[in-house]
Amino acid sequence: MMVMTFPPPRNETLVPQLPMKIALSAAAALTLAGSLAACSTPAGTTEDTATGAEDAAANEEPYTDGTYSANGSYDSPNGTESLDVTLTLEGDVVTDVEVVGNGDNPDSKRYQAEFIGGIADVVVGKDIDELAVDRVAGSSLSSNGFNAALEDIKSQASA
Amino acid sequence: MQVLAFEAIGTDWRVETAEPLGVDVAAAVAERIEFFDSTWSRFRADSLVARIAKQPGTWRFPADAPALFALYRELYEATDGAVNPLVGRSLERLGYDAAYSLRPSGAAAPAPAWDDAIAWNGESLATIAPVVLDVGAAGKGYLVDLVGDVLRVHGVSDFVIDASGDIVHAGSGQTRVALEHPLDSSKAIGVVALANGALCASASNRRAWGTGLHHVVDATTGLPTSSVIATWVMAPSGLVADGLATGLFFAPAERFGALGDFQWARMFSTGRVEHSAQFDGELFL
Repeated sequence: MMVMTFPPPRNETLVPQLPMKIALSAAAALTLAGSLAACSTPAGTTEDTATGAEDAAANEEPYTDGTYSANGSYDSPNGTESLDVTLTLEGDVVTDVEVVGNGDNPDSKRYQAEFIGGIADVVVGKDIDELAVDRVAGSSLSSNGFNAALEDIKSQASA
Repeated sequence: MQVLAFEAIGTDWRVETAEPLGVDVAAAVAERIEFFDSTWSRFRADSLVARIAKQPGTWRFPADAPALFALYRELYEATDGAVNPLVGRSLERLGYDAAYSLRPSGAAAPAPAWDDAIAWNGESLATIAPVVLDVGAAGKGYLVDLVGDVLRVHGVSDFVIDASGDIVHAGSGQTRVALEHPLDSSKAIGVVALANGALCASASNRRAWGTGLHHVVDATTGLPTSSVIATWVMAPSGLVADGLATGLFFAPAERFGALGDFQWARMFSTGRVEHSAQFDGELFL
């Protein structure tokens, strides 16, 4: 099982470097792929249908709480780059993410144009429950028809 | 506060007003949405877009089209073609089709180049081949604007319309919006106080149906993009905010100067967040 599916920048090819620092269970690996890298299929590949559906279904499984680490490298136009990823899982939720990359490539610098007011590495955020807000803008509010179809596919995959 | 909640174009809507909306206003809102959907939906067989997908021709569009095509042209140029209204076939190929099959049906398909396939003259669209239009990059934000117009016509000037992430506030007061962390829906990366403007959020895991398969697709490759995973934009209109929220997946903010002033934040797959110099709100960085 390849764990290091951390999405590389666009148009770059992911070349996982095994073995990982610590062995991850298959379930934890899926969490890495599902939560962190929901958008990580490298260019030129398309997902095998059954596998994709099973991944989605498998993500329903509970995972063991704890901290998981992985290291990976990938080839980019700027040369080989590496990342150390540390995740903390609590109750199937990623509660902390730490990513340490070599971060010194020209692309990174390009984003530091004066137009940008600030850059922060690995933003964890605050609990929404503790904020006084009227509403939330983000990814948890998906389309109903889409969600219904996705549930249907998942149930077919687990049948 | 009064809330009119309903489902339309496959998602949940909330229209919040000080006084309850009359039955006539609610009906006018529903009618406006239905009209928009009957033109632009890629998910219904009787829409104009569905007819354009069947055969080439010259197609007359309703009055809401020029603003949408104009915005798309700006996005298309600013992103070197990555945002393209012809991306519908690419999405279908990945499984995001009218039947929600959610199963890829072949190799990724780049969208045709705009000038090779279509010509927009301000009223009509000429197509040289069957093309699948998809205005998902900005359509929902635009529809929120159009629903706001309906409210104003009926004398309602203070409102919040929240179409699951595409939000327009008008009138007195403000609405406080948490910016949801794309990797953890229990957390926010910031809070903004929205007043007389639009806030649109986009995240690549919002409509994802498999590893690496989601709806933010680079039209030049036909593949989902992966460098940026979430964006938030505040702009005067839902149309511009929604369009920019998509555009920022593919190009840095300085490329979109033609679209006027806006504020933004975006998160990369590494967890890094960058944001505009001016940002009326708090970011928990």
